[in-house]
Amino acid sequence: MNEKKIIELKNVAKSYDGEVILDHINLDVHEKEFMTLLGPSGCGKTTTLRIIAGFVTPDTGDVVFEGVKINDIPAYKRHVNTVFQKYALFPHLNVYENIAFALRLNKISEEEIYNRVEEMLAMVNLKGFEKRDVNLLSGGQQQRVAIARALINKPKVLLLDEPLGALDLKLRKDMQNELKNIQRKTGITFIYVTHDQEEALSMSDTVVVMADGKIQQIGTPTDIYNEPENAFVADFIGESNIIDGVMLDDYKAKFSGHIFECLDKGFEKNERVDVVVRPEDVDVVPPEKGMLTGVVTSVTFKGVHYEIIVNINNFKWMIQSTDYVEPNQKIGIYIEPDAIHIMKRSEYSGQFGDYSSFSDELDRLSDISEEEE
Amino acid sequence: MQRAAAAPHVVWAVLFIIAPLLFVVYYAFTDKNGSFTFSNIGAIFQASYLEVFLRSLCFAFLATVICLIIAYPIAYFMAKAKPKTQKVLIMLVMLPQWLNFLIRTYSWMALLEDTGIINSVLMGIFGLEIPPLHMINTSGAVILGMVYNYLPYMIIPLHSVISKIDPKLLEAAADLGCSPLRVLTKVVFPLSMSDIVSGVTMVFVPSISTFYISQKLGGGNFDLIGDTIERQFQTAYDYNLGAAMSFVLMLIILVSMAIMNRYAGEDDGGVVV
Amino acid sequence: MKKRTIFGNIYIILAFIFLYMPIAVLILFSFNSSNSTSNFEGFSFKWYGELFSDAATLDALKNTLLLAILSSLIATVIGTMAAYGIHKMRNKHLKSSIMSVTKIPMINPEIVVGISMMLLFVFVGGILGSKSYLGFGTVLIAHVTFNLPYVILSVLPKFKQMDKSLPEAAQDLGCTPLQSFFKVELPAILPGVVSGLIMAFTLSLDDFVISYFTIGSGFETLPIRIYSMTKKRVTPDMYALSTLIFVSILVLLLLSNLTSDKSREKMSKKAKKITKIVVGTAFGVIGIITVIVLIVSAGTKTLTLNVYNWGEYISDGGEGTLDVNRAFEEYYEEKYFLETGERVNVSVNYTTYASNEDLYAKLKSGATGYDIIIPSDYMIQRLKSENLLQKLDLNKIPNYANIKEQFRNPFYDNGEEKYTAMYTYGVIGIIYNSKKLHPDDLAKIEAGEAGWELLWDEKYKGQILQFNNPRDAFGTAMYALGIDVNNATEEDWKKAQEYLKEQKPLVQSYVMDEIFNKMEGGEATLAAYYAGDCLCMIGNNEDLGFYYPRKNGEVVTNIFADAMCIPSSAENVDLAHEYINFMLSEEAAVANAEYIYYASPNKAVIENEGYQINMGKYEIEYKLDENGEEVPKLDEDDCYIPVLDENGEMIIDEEGDYFVIYDDVLEDNLEDMFNTYAYRDLEDESRATLNQKWEELKVDSQSFGGGIYIFCAVILVALIAFGVYCYIIKRKRRRLYWNTQK
Repeated sequence: MNEKKIIELKNVAKSYDGEVILDHINLDVHEKEFMTLLGPSGCGKTTTLRIIAGFVTPDTGDVVFEGVKINDIPAYKRHVNTVFQKYALFPHLNVYENIAFALRLNKISEEEIYNRVEEMLAMVNLKGFEKRDVNLLSGGQQQRVAIARALINKPKVLLLDEPLGALDLKLRKDMQNELKNIQRKTGITFIYVTHDQEEALSMSDTVVVMADGKIQQIGTPTDIYNEPENAFVADFIGESNIIDGVMLDDYKAKFSGHIFECLDKGFEKNERVDVVVRPEDVDVVPPEKGMLTGVVTSVTFKGVHYEIIVNINNFKWMIQSTDYVEPNQKIGIYIEPDAIHIMKRSEYSGQFGDYSSFSDELDRLSDISEEEE
Repeated sequence: MQRAAAAPHVVWAVLFIIAPLLFVVYYAFTDKNGSFTFSNIGAIFQASYLEVFLRSLCFAFLATVICLIIAYPIAYFMAKAKPKTQKVLIMLVMLPQWLNFLIRTYSWMALLEDTGIINSVLMGIFGLEIPPLHMINTSGAVILGMVYNYLPYMIIPLHSVISKIDPKLLEAAADLGCSPLRVLTKVVFPLSMSDIVSGVTMVFVPSISTFYISQKLGGGNFDLIGDTIERQFQTAYDYNLGAAMSFVLMLIILVSMAIMNRYAGEDDGGVVV
Repeated sequence: MKKRTIFGNIYIILAFIFLYMPIAVLILFSFNSSNSTSNFEGFSFKWYGELFSDAATLDALKNTLLLAILSSLIATVIGTMAAYGIHKMRNKHLKSSIMSVTKIPMINPEIVVGISMMLLFVFVGGILGSKSYLGFGTVLIAHVTFNLPYVILSVLPKFKQMDKSLPEAAQDLGCTPLQSFFKVELPAILPGVVSGLIMAFTLSLDDFVISYFTIGSGFETLPIRIYSMTKKRVTPDMYALSTLIFVSILVLLLLSNLTSDKSREKMSKKAKKITKIVVGTAFGVIGIITVIVLIVSAGTKTLTLNVYNWGEYISDGGEGTLDVNRAFEEYYEEKYFLETGERVNVSVNYTTYASNEDLYAKLKSGATGYDIIIPSDYMIQRLKSENLLQKLDLNKIPNYANIKEQFRNPFYDNGEEKYTAMYTYGVIGIIYNSKKLHPDDLAKIEAGEAGWELLWDEKYKGQILQFNNPRDAFGTAMYALGIDVNNATEEDWKKAQEYLKEQKPLVQSYVMDEIFNKMEGGEATLAAYYAGDCLCMIGNNEDLGFYYPRKNGEVVTNIFADAMCIPSSAENVDLAHEYINFMLSEEAAVANAEYIYYASPNKAVIENEGYQINMGKYEIEYKLDENGEEVPKLDEDDCYIPVLDENGEMIIDEEGDYFVIYDDVLEDNLEDMFNTYAYRDLEDESRATLNQKWEELKVDSQSFGGGIYIFCAVILVALIAFGVYCYIIKRKRRRLYWNTQK
């Protein structure tokens, strides 16, 4: 990133009633960047966003905006706008007035307001909806109004708090593209919060994976996917098989009772490590040709491929393959060296027993219980 | 068949809601011998009765405005408290209503009298020289009585609507550049408009028709519609005039409510200044 | 942020101080050792004791609860059914019109609801020719009526929230529609039903206005009792009752609040079940008790005597006095047993009114069923002329002989047949606060030269109290002007009214029995009132004095008599005779005379030694001896009025008794005074004139500043201007985009 830093979080911490929400975070956001804060609910991503917006004051640490510390500046004075999770459109105002809301606070002529609102409406494809009641709009339309409303003041940074969470899948995909386009067109820095890893990977310039109030990894989507820093990131991003292993030497890892060649180095000899193998990187071969062998416990047709679960040394591997295998069939697997990714052990090691994939549904359930509190 | 369950209520409503109102109209437009006349309605338009109506309107209006001004911040601050505290606060607001309103009004007399508790306390603070603050038997005391008795009916609906406002809306407003005061005027206030109307009704209607407060706290010097109606039935036995006054009172209330609903009902586009 | 919370907290605290100030006063004075509700004189629990011996209040409490339980239960049943029916209705027009009608009692002012129902009952009662049509039934109907909308509006949303397929599922599984209602729908809407029930119960418990217009004889609810008390003096035992109610509700609410938050979550299912059972049983028990009370009261032989009297006009057992009504019950129960060998349960149902006009209004509005009433002279005339009284059978009243000869033929009852038995008589005098009165005026009073004019004295602006009833108020003006109160012409009425209008700016307030508090508390300086009550007030505040207004040396004031009568609609005529007889007996009459301080026409009282001692007859000689003054010789036929010392003040001993003596002025003139100054029933025309002039006086408002109107108008104009401004701005804003398509 060559752009200059627009927001810096320095050693920011926050806790509620003794429960640590943010554990001394450092984060730099650059101009024109599309940054995504990704993590399960309760990881502190929303709190981070709210600290930037000014709704939450950090216990310690500084929030710096364009080089100026803004800890004590209230939300309404910050050049940052937010698109809220459930849009938070003003129900007493129509579409036009909702978008014009921020402009009305300053003495701006009606003509200019009109021009800018129309410009925004055009950008979000809502021309002609001016006098509609916002309560009667569809979710996607409300979403657009919320974006237009947040952008009309031309903020330096736009914060988006799970803005697509309430939309159905198809609409979400469309909106992802649209958001990306808007970001490109306007050149505004987006900080986007989501727990949907697919969304994060497809839209962002930079992904920040968070868990338990800490930043686990910052990187481009490909880095995050291909080079997860620890078991948590590996698990959270995409599907993966995370296996305990030992690094015998540079380029030599041992796991599942077999020594594999790999591309990683720099570990101590015999250091215990976490090994990640993505399901699509495992090839199914006849048992005799396999590096490892196991019995197929289930096969599910997923359209593009089959999802095969294989029991190897009592660890269930997930394999995605276009070849069909029978359940209870004994098969072998083959893994290329570049498909093996070695990570240092962390507090998350061993938490993910069998193959694992982060469940959206579970996450949403825990969301609900959180709201109830 | 299942709809028939409403039948007892319908019969009841016809007998004891509609029929009595018809009798009010009947008595209002007949004289003592039961023949049709406009003289009862006409009598109300004498200067003295007109003044009673005007005074009642005026007192009720002021009481309502004062209630609104006092209640709004209470409701607002209450809504800001923790949910548990809110529950207790609501309970505390409603608790005085469990005591008979006559006796509460009566104990205001003990507070407001020239030799009453407030004056005794003031004298205790400022010494004996100052003349007592004259509070009882003034129009202020009557309005105070109204405000006191009906304030909870303003607080409760306001609190319920303010506490239901999505806090995200307030954040959204702040995010878009509203100072706390502007959040209040541009978002909270317009959003609570509908319940302001219901609170206003719940204070205005009993205030304009009360007949006890003015007798006790106004010393009988500020005759209100309620007092006049009560007198027609309890001492003057002029049921016809009393019914005519009740009829006009109902009309006044209907008209004021219609105006208020119209005023608050216009929300397309919203009123935001 | 912090600053705002502090400000908010302070604001809320102030608001709660405002809301709770009168309640604090009420609680404080429930512990007052004296009966004042404005001066705290010492801590005591005595009013709590009084409360539990005050049968009338406890009765009223019981009535209130009974009414609240019955009306809320009926309203809940009808309302729940109605909500069910309305919910199932498909015709939108029908639905919405039923809902609008339902809401009428909520939106309509209470007073209109009350009088509209009263008019219905009066009219229907008139057509049916029924004698007593206002009663428990009417007030119950009224309460159910105003409870219904609250029940319906709290149940209906529950029906709407309920999953529509619930009853379908139940019926799919084999329930009949009725079964599905009770097994599936009812449990789903139960919270709404319960909250509707509670709301109805509360509203009914607290209602005053609607009850006031629809209640009949012999049934008094607590608010009604408090109302008639606040017309006189709220005794602190009412404060004690309110304190108890307040504290118990506070405790209940706190308990429910504390348990609901924390423990309900932790509560096991079993505990929840137990709570449900407890709540259920509680409701059940209340219901059963109600039923039992109803059955018991209907089943055993009970004679109920409905007595309707002035407030504080009987010895009621307070502060160690005889409870005359209880004594009568015991007396008659024993007598009945001795005569017939059977047990009977006698219950005196004692209710009170504040003025003759109130009594008349009640009788006229159909609240008959009273067995004993005690109106004043002119009202007796009117009631007699309207055939509302029945003649007494003197054979059944042997104690009638106790009434002194001179009181047996009063002008209102001087025929062969007797309709009344005199209870008390008295005059109207002027009570004053000697500390606040100008010395010159004090001297005038001492010299016996003061008349009515003090009530029109500019010096006492805002310090004068005037009667809040037309007859007495006009009386004061007419005596002052020398107009004959009984033969006034239109011109005379007008003059009197003019005079009263002149007085209005000086008047602090128009009162009836509120005068007790105001004079005793030193709130006012001068007032005309009934002599017996004046004595009572003087007993509670030594600064007060009393004189008879004179004109040209002669006492010119109203003399009145109150007498016991039996209305023609009475249901227990024999028992009513027994009651009158008992009231004329020495025991009861002395107790009453000592309690209420009015002059008694009863020989048995005047000759009673205890009464003479209590009223200080002998001490007068002793006390005045010390001053070396001569003591008037007292006869059997004395009229007892207060003794004034040389300073014109009442003589009062340490026990607070005051001395009454024979007043030669009055005694000589008693007959004449009755003839000249007692009120006679007015011709219809004069009465109409009086009422009209009184209306004009009351609604006239010279004392009312116009400032408040201007203030009102300014606010209104500001509001309208604001509305218009908003509208204009809105229009302006819309101008640009309003005509875009879609």
